[in-house]
Amino acid sequence: MLTLYLSGNEAIAHGLVQAGVRFITGYPGTPSSEIIPAAQKLVKEKNIKAFIDWAINEKVAFEIAYSVSLTGIKTAVTMKQVGLNVAMDPFMNSAYVGTDGAMVVVSVDDPGPHSSQTEQDSRFFAMTGKVPVLDPSTVQEAYEFAKKAVQLSKRYSIPVMLRSSTRISHGRGDVKVEEDFILEPINATFKILKDWDKKLPRYAATPRQRLMLHGLLNEKIAEIEKLNELRTFFSGDILILSSGAVFSYLYELIEEHGLEDKVTLAKVDMPYPMKKFDFSGYKRVITIEESMPVIELQLCTEGRRNGIVPKQGELTPDVCEEILERIGLIKKGKTISVPPLKRPSLCPGCGHRIALYALKKVFGKKAVYSGDIGCYTLALNFGVTDTVLCMGASVSFGLGIKKAFELSGKNQDVVAIIGDSTFFHTGIPPLIDAVHYRVPFLTVILDNKTVAMTGNQKTLSDHVSSFGEPVTPIVIENVVQGIGVKFIQAVDPYDFNSSIKILKEAKKFLKENKEPAVIIFRHLCVNTKEGLDANPIYNVKILKEVCKGCKVCITEFECPAIFFNEEEGKVDFDKTLCISCGCCVHVCPTKAIVLI
Amino acid sequence: MKLVILGKGGQGVIFFSRMIAQAAIKRGLSVRSTEIKGMAKKGGTVEIQMKIGEGMSGLVRRGTADMVILLSNDIFDYAKTFGENIFSFNENEVKTALSSVPMRYVNTFLLGVFVKKTGLFECDDFMDLFDEENKKSFIKGCKYVQS
Repeated sequence: MLTLYLSGNEAIAHGLVQAGVRFITGYPGTPSSEIIPAAQKLVKEKNIKAFIDWAINEKVAFEIAYSVSLTGIKTAVTMKQVGLNVAMDPFMNSAYVGTDGAMVVVSVDDPGPHSSQTEQDSRFFAMTGKVPVLDPSTVQEAYEFAKKAVQLSKRYSIPVMLRSSTRISHGRGDVKVEEDFILEPINATFKILKDWDKKLPRYAATPRQRLMLHGLLNEKIAEIEKLNELRTFFSGDILILSSGAVFSYLYELIEEHGLEDKVTLAKVDMPYPMKKFDFSGYKRVITIEESMPVIELQLCTEGRRNGIVPKQGELTPDVCEEILERIGLIKKGKTISVPPLKRPSLCPGCGHRIALYALKKVFGKKAVYSGDIGCYTLALNFGVTDTVLCMGASVSFGLGIKKAFELSGKNQDVVAIIGDSTFFHTGIPPLIDAVHYRVPFLTVILDNKTVAMTGNQKTLSDHVSSFGEPVTPIVIENVVQGIGVKFIQAVDPYDFNSSIKILKEAKKFLKENKEPAVIIFRHLCVNTKEGLDANPIYNVKILKEVCKGCKVCITEFECPAIFFNEEEGKVDFDKTLCISCGCCVHVCPTKAIVLI
Repeated sequence: MKLVILGKGGQGVIFFSRMIAQAAIKRGLSVRSTEIKGMAKKGGTVEIQMKIGEGMSGLVRRGTADMVILLSNDIFDYAKTFGENIFSFNENEVKTALSSVPMRYVNTFLLGVFVKKTGLFECDDFMDLFDEENKKSFIKGCKYVQS
């Protein structure tokens, strides 16, 4: 045994690879993004043959990994909880058809939410899809349950979900890991002709055969349910059921408040499928779980249904303490009010900022800016994003809202804003519809050649895979052109004058032609080493005698390196943050910011 | 021991916390932590909550931290919500760090100052955790406190 200080995501990667998983794909999404890089690092270090790399979106990732599991190889797919929505179609089908090798679906929830659109509970989706789900409470368990999930999947030929959450995935701990790795040769086997007739009804099932497969699935679930035992701690007559990170907070609070003889704490390792238990010896049975009532509904306990557990928000240790007070077990001390922290902004020197500033300058404040999921969502801080829903929705919104204006005889401009990776993910299908229905709105693709928001994962524009093998870069212009968009321009937004010119051309095109236009603003992410190294240096200064203190550079541009000096009534640069991009010279209405 | 370590993106807060964790593990203590680094590079706060030698989770409730290590003084009020015992670096320490080591090793210099001033760990606990440059910077930080 080795003791390593691992994050939950590293622990999951370790468990999967150790249990023999040799094919992992997924799409980045906080807080799940570090599993694939950690697994890549591990197989490189151990010289293990495997395919571990990103896919275009979660649906495709799921289908790829699932198909590989049908060839007898152990696979996994990783995503954040809202990514599971994208993969829902193959996910719902996969339990019916079952696996051959093994398949672990890692879905990481984000109660809070800290960096997500929803507080949905992947365990609920597992229950809907009839997929068994393991829910680790500590980083050590993240490692152990990853291995357990592979074994369970293999044993019952069923996909198994490993549900993590922000606190587990981005938590760290001393983890005891085994030193040995399962080393078995990869041997994909599919379509052996002599028994193919027997197997075909499973892999290409008709609705009738699906009904039979559903019956088989229910038999598997009944078998797995029987294995699902509770682990109990302490010995009171109030039973509290829990799973995931919340279990660990409750365990600590029970010890801290000396409730060991008042409460029995039951740990649920597998929140679905659950069998019925005899709870007649307990005065009360309450479930405290994140973030929806999965155990509570299966076992008919108290919890959210009677208002003991909040229906929204993360169940932090502070909130768990309030819950124990509501049950009548403790008196909580005074609540501490927390001052707000500074809101995040785009990085100093980010190409998105100057691109979107130019966009606002040309299309004005009245235009509707339908935004998307990525760093550029932060442009809502300076008025260049009016809607954010889910991945790829910017383009569908552009189409829908423009069409609605057309139907109403209104002339309002509509601009969709989307990043390169998000465009590939789910932005292409709505653009096809937009061309087909001839809807005149502008789609701005912000191409920084990386998935920046989630920690700079590779995109489809790369020339080499994560393992250094050559891959074919996908050119956005070619895709857009192939769809049939006629107005396509690409420009580096640091070239401000060209950007303004192209934006004006696009505006004119949209007025004169009844069809969509696309502008690609291409500038490497300054948050990457390559991007920062390649970034031009334009040193700037503020002419204090010219600055009127109008704050336009702060409210309309919002660079973190520019701040208002209250004493002087003028703006100043924070030299520790400024990367000398020179973009702000285009912003100052009194020309007080100049190049040196 | 319940610790909260707070700072800004780019200050090396996470590295700072991981070194403390590694030193504790070397002493045979359990370490649990949680890292909130959401959009840290974009001007956000980096917050590490850590339990050493106790607990099952890494989370620290408001008002219960044994010590809050603050690397960025403008979030002092936020830091106070975790506990009264706040360890921060004074102007001289930061100035000396900035003038005696390259920018990217400032955090290890300050770690040296922290270790020496609090006595929670020995300087030796850290020595084999670092590469050469970090080690030099750390030793400078330790020595600065002695002088």
